[in-house]
Amino acid sequence: MSDHPIRLSVDDDLRRPRLTVFFRLLLAIPHLIWLALWSIAAILAAIAGWFAALITGCLPNGLHNFLGAYVRYATHVGGYLSLAANPYPGFKGEPGYPVDVVIPERQPQPRWKTALRLLLAIPALLLAATLGSGVGGSGGGGYSGQADGGGSNAQWFTSTGVGGVAALCAFLGWFSCLALGRMPLGLRNLGAYGIGYTAQAYAYTLLLTARYPNADPESLGPEWELPQHPIRLELSDDGHRSRLTVFFRLLLALPHLVWLTLWSVAAFLAAIANWFVALLGGQSAEPLHRFLAAYTRYDAHVTAFLFLVANPFPGFAGTRGYPVDVEIDPPQRQNRWITLFRIFLAIPALLLSAGLNVALFVAGLLGWFAALATGRMPTGLRNLGAFCVRYLAQVNAYIFVLTGAYPHASPALRPPPEPERELEAAAA
Amino acid sequence: MRALAALVLAGLWAAAAYALWQTRVPGGLDLPEIDLAGRIDLDVIARSKRYERFFRVEFVVAQLVLIGVLLAYARWGIRFARESAAGRIGTGMLLGMIGLALVWLSQVPFRLAEVWWDRRYDQTDAGYVETLFANWFELGAEFLFICFALVIVMALAGRFPRRWWLGAAPVFVGLATLFAFVFPYLSTTDPLDRPGLEAAARVYAKQQGIEPVRIGVEDVTDFTSAPNAYAVGFGPSKRIVLWNTLLDGRFGVGEVKVVLAHELAHHSRNHIPESIGWYALFALPGAWLIALATRRRGGMANPAAVPLSLLVIVLLNLVSLPVYNAISRHMEQEADWVALETTRDPDSAAGLFRNFTIESLNDPNPPTWSYLLFDSHPSVERRIAMAEAWRGRAK
Repeated sequence: MSDHPIRLSVDDDLRRPRLTVFFRLLLAIPHLIWLALWSIAAILAAIAGWFAALITGCLPNGLHNFLGAYVRYATHVGGYLSLAANPYPGFKGEPGYPVDVVIPERQPQPRWKTALRLLLAIPALLLAATLGSGVGGSGGGGYSGQADGGGSNAQWFTSTGVGGVAALCAFLGWFSCLALGRMPLGLRNLGAYGIGYTAQAYAYTLLLTARYPNADPESLGPEWELPQHPIRLELSDDGHRSRLTVFFRLLLALPHLVWLTLWSVAAFLAAIANWFVALLGGQSAEPLHRFLAAYTRYDAHVTAFLFLVANPFPGFAGTRGYPVDVEIDPPQRQNRWITLFRIFLAIPALLLSAGLNVALFVAGLLGWFAALATGRMPTGLRNLGAFCVRYLAQVNAYIFVLTGAYPHASPALRPPPEPERELEAAAA
Repeated sequence: MRALAALVLAGLWAAAAYALWQTRVPGGLDLPEIDLAGRIDLDVIARSKRYERFFRVEFVVAQLVLIGVLLAYARWGIRFARESAAGRIGTGMLLGMIGLALVWLSQVPFRLAEVWWDRRYDQTDAGYVETLFANWFELGAEFLFICFALVIVMALAGRFPRRWWLGAAPVFVGLATLFAFVFPYLSTTDPLDRPGLEAAARVYAKQQGIEPVRIGVEDVTDFTSAPNAYAVGFGPSKRIVLWNTLLDGRFGVGEVKVVLAHELAHHSRNHIPESIGWYALFALPGAWLIALATRRRGGMANPAAVPLSLLVIVLLNLVSLPVYNAISRHMEQEADWVALETTRDPDSAAGLFRNFTIESLNDPNPPTWSYLLFDSHPSVERRIAMAEAWRGRAK
C-alpha cells in the first residue's frame, strides 16, 4: 500500500441509476461553474501560499485547509463526471464522498522544493493530463475547471479527447451504465486511478504536500480488484537501466519494430484463420494459438523495451523469460456468439488501449529522462507502463481470438493468486 | 593444394583488378606545369589551404579517438551482453548497435567542430543543434543495416564457423549491387528546369554512346553552399543529380555543361558497376581478415566477437582508404577526360575547377601525403592541367 500522504479512497458499489447517468453532464453544470470559480480563488490562494511557504517553510493553516478542500472537491466532481462515483457531490469538498482523497495535516516543506514547485510539477501535471485529470484549473491539464464557465462541457470533451484515460473510461462507462445500470469494475477503477493521480499532482502543485506524485497503480489508492484472466502479466524487472541503451533506446528498438511489422502481417492472417477455426470448432487451433501467443508476447516485450518498462534487449521469437512478460493460457472453449462479433466487441477495448498507449508514451518519455539521470526507472512509471503492457496484451489476445475473456481495465498488475495455483506453486 | 588455390585466387584477383583499371585517359599523358597564381587569387589559395588544413588535422584526431573508443569497446564491450535477453544473434545485434552508438557519440564533437569551421568560412548556415539532430534518420538506417549485416554473418558463422566469409562476401556484394540500383528511386529530386542544359545532356549522352539519362536537382541550401553533382544507379535506374548550389548563378552555363558531361561519363564508362566490382574484390579478403581476427573470440558466431569485429572493420577501412581514393581518383580522371572530349571546351573545364577553389575552398594543390591519403578526386591543379593537356593534344 501507498505511504503517500495524499491517499485515494474508493467506496462505491458500482450501481448507477440510468437517469442520472444519461443526464450526467447536464447535472454536473452547476459543479463545473462552481469549480471554475473556486479554481480562480485556488490559484490566487496558491500564489499567496507559495510566498508564505517560502518565508515560513510551511503553508499557513487557513490556506492549507482551503486548498485541501478545493482538491477534494475537484476529485469529487471528477469522480461524478467520469462515472467513477454515483452520488451528487456536495459543494464544499467535505470528506466522505465515494471517490475521495485524504489530505494530510500541514507539514514543513523544504524551501528549495517550494521555490521550484511549478517547474518540478510539470512532468506530474503532464502525466495527470494524460491519465485524464479529474480536477480543474490550476495545472492546465484539467478538463472540468476551465475558467470559461459555460463552455466547460465542450472543453471537457475536447481537452481530454487526446489520451485522457479517465475521460475515455467515462465515455465507455456511460454506454455500459445505460445498458446495465452498473459501472464496469475495470473502468471504474481505472477512472478512479486517473483521478487519484491527478489529485496527487494538484496537491503537490498547490503545496499541500512536498511528496512527489506516485503513478504506481499498485500503491495509489486501494488494492484494485483484478479477476483471474487467461492473459497475465509477469514482472521481474529490478528497475536498473543502462544509461547508454536508454539514450539510444528508440534506435536500438528499430530492428524489433521492423521485425514486429513483418510479423504483424503474418499475425493478421493467422488471426483471421483462427477466427474461422474458433467459430466452427468452438476454440482456437493449437498451432495458431501458439503462433499468435508468441506474437502477443513478442509485442509485449518490444513495447516494454521501447518504453523503458524493461531493460534487456528482447529476443526475436517471443519466448518466455523476459522481465516484463505475459503468460497465456492454452486454448479454451469460447462462446461462438462472442467469437462471431469479436471485432465489434473489441472496439471499446481498442479505444481504451489507444488512450493507454498515450499514457505509456508519456510514462516512457518521462522515464527516459529519469533513467538517464539516475540509471533507474522510477517504480511508479515502470508499473504504470507494465499495467499498460498487460492491458494491451489482453486486447491483442482478445482480438486474435486467443481467449474469450474481455480485457480488464483495472489498473492492477496481477490478480491475487488463486488458492489452487498457490498450492501448486507451494508444492513445486 | 591450398597454396595452389591461393595462387589461382590471387591470379584471378589481379586479372580482375587489371581489367577494372583500364581507362580512356591516354597512357603517358604529360600534365603541363600550371601557374596557379595566374589563375586564382593568392589570398583565395591561402584561404583554401587554411580551410582544408583544419579538416586534415580534425580527420586524424577523429580517427584516433574512434580507434581508441573501439579498442576500449573491443576490450570491455562484451559487458553489454548483460543488457540482452535475446539469443546469440540478437545479442550480437545489440552489441553491434551499441558499438555504432559509441562511434556516433565519439564523433559528435568533431561534427560540431566541422560545422563551426564551415560557418567561419561561410560554407554552411547549418546550426549546431540542427546538425546533431539532422542525421538521426541516417543513424537509424545504419542501425538497421548493421543488424541486417550481423544477422547474415552470424547466421552463416553459426552454420560454417570457419568458412562463413566465403558465403558472406557474395551476399554483401549482392546487397551493394541492389542498393546501388535502388538508391536513385529512394531519393527525391526536382526536375531540371533548364531546357538548354537538358538538350546539351541529350547530345552528350549520344556522343558518349549511351541513352539519355534522367537529371534531377537536389535542394541542399539548408546545410551547405558548396556546389556538387553525382551519378547514381545503373541500367534503368541511371540518374544524374545536380545540387541546386551549382545552378544558382555562380557557375556559367559552359561550366555546368562540363559537369553534366563529367557525370554522364561516369555512366558511359560504367563507373558504378566498376565500383561494385572493386568492392567485390576487397570484400572477400576483408571478410576473411575479419574471420581470422575474431577467431580468438570464438569467431563471428559468438556475440563476444562483435565488438572486436567493429574495430577490425574500421581499421580495414582506414588501411584501404588510400587504395580506395586512388581508384576513385582514377575514375574521376577518366570522367574529366571524357568530359573534355565531349564538350571540347577546356576553358569552361578550367574555369569550373578554378571555381571549385573559389566557392568550395578546395585546396588546389594539397600536400602529397594528404592527397594520397584523403582525396577522392584529382586536385584542382591536376584537373586544370588535364584541361590544358587536352587543349595541347586537340591542337
